[in-house]
Amino acid sequence: MSAQPEQAEPQEIAEFRRDVRAWIQANRPPEPGFVMPQNFLFVETDEQFDYLRDWQRKVYEAGYLGLDWPTEYGGGGDVHKRQRIVTQEMNRAGAPFFVNTIGLQWAGPVILEYGTEAQKRRFLKPILSAEEIWCQGFSEPGAGSDLASVQTRAEPAPDGGFIVTGHKVWTTLGTRAKWMILLARTDPEAHKYAGLSFFLFPMESPGVEVLPLIKMTGEGGFNQVIFSEAPMPADAMLGKPGQGWEVAMATLTFERGAAEGTGGGQATSSAETVRRVVELAARTPRDGRPAATDAILRDRLVQLWIEEEALRLGALRKRTPGLNADRPLALALMNKLVYSEYGQKLSELACEMLGPETALWMGDPNAPDDGDWPRAYMNSFGMTIGGGTSEIQRNILGERVLGLPKSK
Amino acid sequence: MNNPVSHFDFGDDHEILREGARRFLEERCPIEAVRRLADDPLGYDPGVWKEMAELGWTGLTIAEAHGGAGLGNLHQALLLEEMGRRLLPSPYLGTVLAALAIARAGDETQQAHTLPALASGGALATLGWLEPGASWEPDAVAARAEARTDGFALSGTKTHVLCGAQAQLVVAPFRADDGIALFAVEANADGLRVEPETCLDPTRRTARLVFDGVRVPAGARLARAGADVWGAILLQAAAWLAAEMVGAAEGILQLTRDYAVERKQFGRPIGSFQAVKHPLVNDMIGIEMARTHALAAAAAYDQMPDPPATGARMAKALASDVLATAVRHGVQFHGGYGFTIDCDVHYYFKRALFCRGMLGDGIHHRRHLAATLFGDADGTA
Repeated sequence: MSAQPEQAEPQEIAEFRRDVRAWIQANRPPEPGFVMPQNFLFVETDEQFDYLRDWQRKVYEAGYLGLDWPTEYGGGGDVHKRQRIVTQEMNRAGAPFFVNTIGLQWAGPVILEYGTEAQKRRFLKPILSAEEIWCQGFSEPGAGSDLASVQTRAEPAPDGGFIVTGHKVWTTLGTRAKWMILLARTDPEAHKYAGLSFFLFPMESPGVEVLPLIKMTGEGGFNQVIFSEAPMPADAMLGKPGQGWEVAMATLTFERGAAEGTGGGQATSSAETVRRVVELAARTPRDGRPAATDAILRDRLVQLWIEEEALRLGALRKRTPGLNADRPLALALMNKLVYSEYGQKLSELACEMLGPETALWMGDPNAPDDGDWPRAYMNSFGMTIGGGTSEIQRNILGERVLGLPKSK
Repeated sequence: MNNPVSHFDFGDDHEILREGARRFLEERCPIEAVRRLADDPLGYDPGVWKEMAELGWTGLTIAEAHGGAGLGNLHQALLLEEMGRRLLPSPYLGTVLAALAIARAGDETQQAHTLPALASGGALATLGWLEPGASWEPDAVAARAEARTDGFALSGTKTHVLCGAQAQLVVAPFRADDGIALFAVEANADGLRVEPETCLDPTRRTARLVFDGVRVPAGARLARAGADVWGAILLQAAAWLAAEMVGAAEGILQLTRDYAVERKQFGRPIGSFQAVKHPLVNDMIGIEMARTHALAAAAAYDQMPDPPATGARMAKALASDVLATAVRHGVQFHGGYGFTIDCDVHYYFKRALFCRGMLGDGIHHRRHLAATLFGDADGTA
């Protein structure tokens, strides 16, 4: 149902799409034989990580990752911006996701925009090949939605570099990452926003301790990072001193899908779609009949189909500026909010549809889809909370798009 | 099956039409005009109608061969959105829907006979879209067309007919011996009784049309017949109405947003409270999604003559729900003032109630969409 082959596409795009599809068909890795995480936030074991890293490297070597990035930094230099076609086809095929998501979607684009020539040459290619994994150091125990109140300090060192002291949380892939995009306070005297700088921090520095956090699903993948006078060199800074807030906001704009230019790739596989829940409904008994015949469930699922279609068609509309003239930023800024809440509603609906069978968790031989649905529902909160909670997103939309006064 | 549009053909001509319409309607249809026309017996401004005809709007999608501008559905959707935003009281919607039906069901001779007068704005027309029993299923036609030697005798009742008392031409389905067929009937025909309704929406005029053996010539029967033809017309009409409703939703959101900025309580604008801000953001998101669907549904008709029903159904379903929510917030956030007839919100509120029920609401279209999604006729049998 979702994502029909695009019709009436220009010839060269249609051919490219066919090539990508054939390549995925021929090269996708076999089913791993172990439980896979549902998205990049929840990579836990070595075998999961290796499987995903091998896949990303293979896609990159085939020329299907970093397509839109300049060739001098390891990209494909594609003027047709065809990375999105690859992403669509990967999603359609249910291919594994790319494990270096922080690098591809946040670190890479922001280095492209703010980095020096040396930084671009140093960092971008190993992001694409997954040779160097990235993590993000924004949130702190006392700085979640109020991100600008970060307390982690980066103080000048005698060698011209910086000494970092502080505590970051929700650090996905913290144990695997070689680099961290780090938001830290360089000037405690300055105004809250003006005192921040942005760094490309080497995780191998002494004085860095990575401790796991366990999520409500029992899965790991998240960490907290303690910095105890951890050194970093002078050229670790991205942008200028005091420009950290601007760079961090630019990063979050990439994260919300508001800007073109990410390295590409989907951050999730086994994406929950309406079609998957339709299939579930056909094989789920409810009150002695297939759930697919229940009028109320059908109606609720159709409501989500309408949202799913609005998101898909909205991506087409977004590329037509004349159809966004009144609110040029709206579709871009609402994307993360709508998509994350759609996914949450969908996995919750699947759980409700399963009725008593939703009680069976991963590992139980009778659990429908090995407990994927309750796990997806729990994991969906990573999306509605991470990268700016839905509540913060609504504040941003209300203030920046509708022009409503700031909430105190 | 999904809406198969792969792109939007938006050009300078779309831009010019939309900007021109916005300026014209700002000037000719301020809220004062809506208030005045709400109490006017005719219910629209003939001078504005004449100007709209001169702008080419009455014949916007009518073929150039029949005196129209020959533009597309996306143009029509953009124009209707602007009209909806201003709640333009006008015989426009009924007239363009009648022209749509004639263009889809009439042969060349019938089109040449009727469309030029509609394109020029010289005649008002309307669509007999519904009957007592209130079913939007295309086969729910009880009105009869009985064959006579020189034509047909039409009997039956059509309800909630837009500008039914003002239109000179009515296009409506009747059940003939060989199934459902559409007829184009002169409104002053003998035996056609026009009973104006007391319409809840003061920006609309509707009537109940009672056909009591109305004699029409054989040529009044439009050439392409069948419930599928009528069903396709109802769907395309629903897509157009959805575009107008997106405009109305945008209008009430703007009004409510402005009030939330200006109105102070506890020493702060009420729009700074998240209890007000977040619902307005949700309305904005809903409107943008409904607009995406309305534009995509229209674009599909420009890219193929009979696109899957999904596009129009999703557009009308979502527009119905989004507009209903936006007007509810409109009244609520205007507080006690919003509850009075002095506050303009009630015009939008009544427009929303009117439009939701016409051409199928969310419940209706989602039931059909479910059958498509689950690949069955109706799983709830």
